[in-house]
Amino acid sequence: MRKRLSNTLLPSVAVGAGLLLGVSPAWAQHGKNEGPAPRALDGKVDLSGVWTVSGSTDLPSDPAYLPAAKKLYEERKASGGKGDPEKQCLPNGVVRIEPLPYKIVQTPKLVVLLSEGNTHSYRRFFLDGRPHNLDLEPNTWNGNSIGHWEGDTLVVDTIGFNDKSWLDSTGKPHSEALHVIERYSRPDLNHLQIAYNLDDPQMFSQPYTFTRTFTRVIGRDLKEYFCAMNSFVGK
Amino acid sequence: MTNRYVSEMVARAIAVSMLVLVWFSASAQEPGKNTKKVRYPGAVRPTKAPPPGPPGPVPRMPDGKPDLSGVWNAQRELPGDPEPDMLPWAAALTKQRTENYSADDPEARCVPGGVPRATPYHVQMVSTPKLILILFEGNIHTFRQIFLDRTEHLKIAQPLWYGDSIGHWEGDTLVVDTIGFNDKFWFDMAGHPHTTQLHVIERYHRRDYGNMDVEVTIIDPGAYTKPWVQHRVQILTPDADILEYVCNENNQDPGHLEGDTH
Repeated sequence: MRKRLSNTLLPSVAVGAGLLLGVSPAWAQHGKNEGPAPRALDGKVDLSGVWTVSGSTDLPSDPAYLPAAKKLYEERKASGGKGDPEKQCLPNGVVRIEPLPYKIVQTPKLVVLLSEGNTHSYRRFFLDGRPHNLDLEPNTWNGNSIGHWEGDTLVVDTIGFNDKSWLDSTGKPHSEALHVIERYSRPDLNHLQIAYNLDDPQMFSQPYTFTRTFTRVIGRDLKEYFCAMNSFVGK
Repeated sequence: MTNRYVSEMVARAIAVSMLVLVWFSASAQEPGKNTKKVRYPGAVRPTKAPPPGPPGPVPRMPDGKPDLSGVWNAQRELPGDPEPDMLPWAAALTKQRTENYSADDPEARCVPGGVPRATPYHVQMVSTPKLILILFEGNIHTFRQIFLDRTEHLKIAQPLWYGDSIGHWEGDTLVVDTIGFNDKFWFDMAGHPHTTQLHVIERYHRRDYGNMDVEVTIIDPGAYTKPWVQHRVQILTPDADILEYVCNENNQDPGHLEGDTH
């Protein structure tokens, strides 16, 4: 993933791989002002801010794949990433993330997660008490996300996926049965943690858990990034 | 997604066909008319306003400002606005694009629609005291940010599809000022062009619960001889949601993508 980022920063590749506007090499900075997590008007921890992942964007290990899923994963690895949705400017889905920043916009009943990279799109977490609703769209890249607070942790529950997205850049597969629970917390001013619990009974023999830490990005908002379109970038 | 996509594309196709017919008949009746003011198929103005949205009081934020949040139907232009006054090159380019049936419309290539292009799809607005988001269902499935916490534009090193938008309240009207655009997108299916001098001012006024008046002023001395003002309305659709429209999933122009070609 580190390699892919550096590729993206090469201008010659940027025209082909995307329109990448003025990424500063020093966008992940620790703030001088340390302190506790801020609170929103309603008393909840305020997760709002611009965040970038610390460390690898890939999963730290392999999920316990059932044989057919394991075979699919090995095929993808052997093919050198052929068919990678991201390379076709398709959405990453929920688990796969980019080294480019994300932004959280928190309101009492709706939390929006904006993504600079990939498809420069968004996820929405509904906190208004609605149940999952897959009537209109049973299978999507980002699924259907509902959230609730458990103390200072925002718990986001997502189902309704398609099976096209990869769990990371190495091609880890999942099925439409994927169920993702993300637990968002902000241990202090400058850090965000997401603890993931992935379950996919069609592909995993047991749930897979891991945690990512994000660092607050200071002095820089999301930039405008749009994937591909090289014929128009040049015009 | 599929049903709405199909119905909207069918509606667009029918609209274009009808407008082209109207245009041909109008052309036949008015030979030699000054091209600077000619009506192009995609630019024919609507003859009536859409049905109003649900009634009720304007929702308000804790700070008393109108809450613009909600899922809204696509902006529709209202009848009565005059045609824009274009410089000759812009008029000629619009005519050329129109006569080519909008075949080169960048939006059809899954690139951003820019500002102030109204898409056929729903949008969701999210109000916070210092930031307002506009989430687009399509085309493409991306977002705009309107910053209310600064009064000066950023220095734009490279022109942008959606520009740099700052907003402020004038009474109950949100005034959004945007500059920093590239010149790659079209304002509409007619192909009205612009230059990087483009400056767009949008005035959002949630008149009641279900109706938002939007006044759009397009200022671009590189393409238009005077500001082009459009009056639009945006209707709340409280029972609808924006769907996951992924333009690149059905892109008929994959040769422009990096993935399979390099």
